[in-house]
Amino acid sequence: MSTDAPLIPDDFPRFEGGRTAMLAGAVIGIVSLALTAVGFVGAPQATLLSYLVAFMYWLGIALGALVLLMANHAAGARWNIVVRRLNESIVATTPLYLLLFLPILLGARVIFSWVAPDAAVFGAEGMKLLAHKHAYLNMSAFTLRAAVYFAIWIAVAGLMRGWSIRQDQGGEAQWTRRLRKLGAGGLPFIAYSLTFASFDWLMSLNPLWGSSIFGLYIFAGGFVASIALLCILAALAIRSHAPVGRLINESHLHNLGKYLLAFIAFWAYIAFSQYMLIWVGNLPDEIPWILLRREGGWRWVGVFLIVFHFVVPFLVLLSRDLKRNPRTLAAIAAWVMIVHYVDLYWVVLPVAHAGFHWTAITSFAGVGGLSVAFGIWRLRGGYAVPLRDPYLEDSLRYVQP
Amino acid sequence: MAQTALEARAELDPRPLMIGEQDDGSLNKSILDFVWAKPSKGWWALFLLGMAGTGLLTMAISVTIGKGIGMWGNNIPVAWAYGIVNFVWWIGIGHAGTLISAILLLFQQKWRTSINRFAEAMTLFAVMQAGLFPILHLGRPWYAYWLFPYPATYHLWPQFKSPLMWDVFAVSTYFISSFLFWYLGLIPDLASLRDSSSTRLKRRVYGVFALGWRGSARHWHHYKIAYLLLAGLCTPLVVSVHTIVSWDFAVAILPGWHTTIFPPYFVAGAVFSGFAMVITLMVPARKVMGLKNVITARHLEAMCKVILVTSMIVGYGYAMEHFFAWYSGNEYEAHVFKNRAVGQFKYVYFMMWTCNVIIPQLFWFRWFRSNIYVMWIISVLINVGMWTERFVIVVTSLQQDYLPSSWADYHPTWVDWSLFTGTLGFFGMLFLLFLKFVPAVALSEVKELRHELEHARREHPEHAHENQPVMDLSEMEGAKP
Repeated sequence: MSTDAPLIPDDFPRFEGGRTAMLAGAVIGIVSLALTAVGFVGAPQATLLSYLVAFMYWLGIALGALVLLMANHAAGARWNIVVRRLNESIVATTPLYLLLFLPILLGARVIFSWVAPDAAVFGAEGMKLLAHKHAYLNMSAFTLRAAVYFAIWIAVAGLMRGWSIRQDQGGEAQWTRRLRKLGAGGLPFIAYSLTFASFDWLMSLNPLWGSSIFGLYIFAGGFVASIALLCILAALAIRSHAPVGRLINESHLHNLGKYLLAFIAFWAYIAFSQYMLIWVGNLPDEIPWILLRREGGWRWVGVFLIVFHFVVPFLVLLSRDLKRNPRTLAAIAAWVMIVHYVDLYWVVLPVAHAGFHWTAITSFAGVGGLSVAFGIWRLRGGYAVPLRDPYLEDSLRYVQP
Repeated sequence: MAQTALEARAELDPRPLMIGEQDDGSLNKSILDFVWAKPSKGWWALFLLGMAGTGLLTMAISVTIGKGIGMWGNNIPVAWAYGIVNFVWWIGIGHAGTLISAILLLFQQKWRTSINRFAEAMTLFAVMQAGLFPILHLGRPWYAYWLFPYPATYHLWPQFKSPLMWDVFAVSTYFISSFLFWYLGLIPDLASLRDSSSTRLKRRVYGVFALGWRGSARHWHHYKIAYLLLAGLCTPLVVSVHTIVSWDFAVAILPGWHTTIFPPYFVAGAVFSGFAMVITLMVPARKVMGLKNVITARHLEAMCKVILVTSMIVGYGYAMEHFFAWYSGNEYEAHVFKNRAVGQFKYVYFMMWTCNVIIPQLFWFRWFRSNIYVMWIISVLINVGMWTERFVIVVTSLQQDYLPSSWADYHPTWVDWSLFTGTLGFFGMLFLLFLKFVPAVALSEVKELRHELEHARREHPEHAHENQPVMDLSEMEGAKP
């Protein structure tokens, strides 16, 4: 192969597809959110909790994809370069969530009992604890922290994606160097902001309860779902004969599938660690979290998660053939995305002591539709592969050893 | 200014994995020579030191068994002290080996090749030291077999609800599979030793241990499958062992011990201390044994990065523990953390933070990852720091419990210190024997890597610089003779 000619010709087409999906996503998103707003009037708490699940679901995927992108840069990974722009397009949705966070901020009083605690509910001891926690759990600190989280996420996501796109012009080494530095140096900031965001927005739904692994648990779920979404995007690119799809081979899918397998096991490890230690300790300030999730139907949701969020996908993904086939890999990944929703739903909804509310569907479709539309919109007009990355060649040549 | 991929890569490519023009012969020589050479005076001096430590250990064990564990500094409420601290410290060190061998293999990290043998041997010897402590702590170690479920006429049955019991199975399984993994990797190299033996006796002995290895395609085929399968099976084991060790504490409801972040935080801490110990041992060994061509600045830098990552995770664990000690509003929990910071062992606590979280931050800078002297000092400090971490967790959580009337200080005795320094000597002695009798670097894997690199160079001559000595190693290691 000649050495100095670009590996991918200069007339490699820019991505102009996905128009239908983008428009459909936008329409579905807006209509569904409007319906959710209607639902809010009738059942404010159930609706806002459902919305919180949808918000954390899609935000968790964007941030999971950001961590994946950063870790790959930090490690100097090469195999993933052909799917990196797809990864970046998931990351590109991050700013949208600042806007979508507003309902949670404005409606905080409806779902977070610590905003205006009721002495009749918490009792004297609970009120004393809440007074202790007030330094952390109060609306100004909550708002300020949210602003810091979003500032970190939007800045890091913007730079990680922006520098990669700027390298499309001239392929200079300096962009790779910058990406590697930010990829490594930014990870601690993402780790702590994501952790405390999960404390603020999910753990504090029960303000008397706490678990030091909770941040990792929420990260693990979002990370698995983001890998699953990347598997689906790669498979879609292949099946739709998009130009980038012709560059992705079985070995890339195989690696994505391995990631999915590994982090499903990681999620289960974290989930088990949390559950087992709380269960065995059986302490009054921790056990209510489990007791609540053993009432009525929730018990079976827990069993469902063990079997279908861990056992089944883990066993299925052990197969080499299923990981290397775009159709089967995408099917498994889609399943993982569904069960991850169930996981978050199981984390959030039991606090309401209420049954299923239809806004769970509309808010999921609303946030999801807008996320998909926004992601495609940001991908359009650019290249769907980082075509001047100095290591693209290694990625194209990648084979499983 | 636009750059072609080649120009960009010339700037970005990592340091070489192998220095200089090597062939199978030169690799044989550089790796096997140390085994065939007569032991140097330095080796003997260190070996005698190790023997002395082993002697001290034997004496301390005799005292412990003869007079009972009353000879230790343990008291009530500090019923767990050095015995558990040393156990956790050693077993943590034992995590680097299998991590490098198994997990880095699954991650397709080629730099593991030159350091895996070394780290695996370290793992085995560290686990041996670790195993001594809980057995001695039994008080009547001659009944240690009661830990295993067997059909006894006394109707003894182990308490399966206790993580201490799970430790028995986790650690013994870990030891067995690490040993198998290490030995399986050794077989081709033992055959190389057999084939280069100078006397009949040596040939016979190495021949027996090489299990008739002929290096045929069929042998390699089976070998590769077995190796990959063992790597896959060892990966959950690495995680499980230190997870169960963390449960020894977290399953109890004691403030300072009972927190859900313990499992991943302990595993990260184990990898952290294990990599630090690999650097502590490897930096001098590669110099003395002339292995600088195969264990290059690239390897050392990669290990420093793993140390940085795991240090950040350990720091995250500390941050979570401390946050929840406050956030939970539990006054006992808060008291334990306050006692750590201002109590009898505040200096130990200070060392823990300094060595494990603050000093490793230096590895963000390339200069520190490239200077072997600095790197070695940091690695020793991390070893110290991880010992103090276990001390802080074990002792300070017990020292001041719910009832102030039962609080007590803790003072280790000379037997405690002798046991600990004795295991250091025993470990060192075993390690020196390992260096002397088998190749410290996986020769067959390094040869395979060399072929791969050469093959790549022939196919893509434009990327030749990736495997060229782009810089002289001495330049990168700072001041050096």
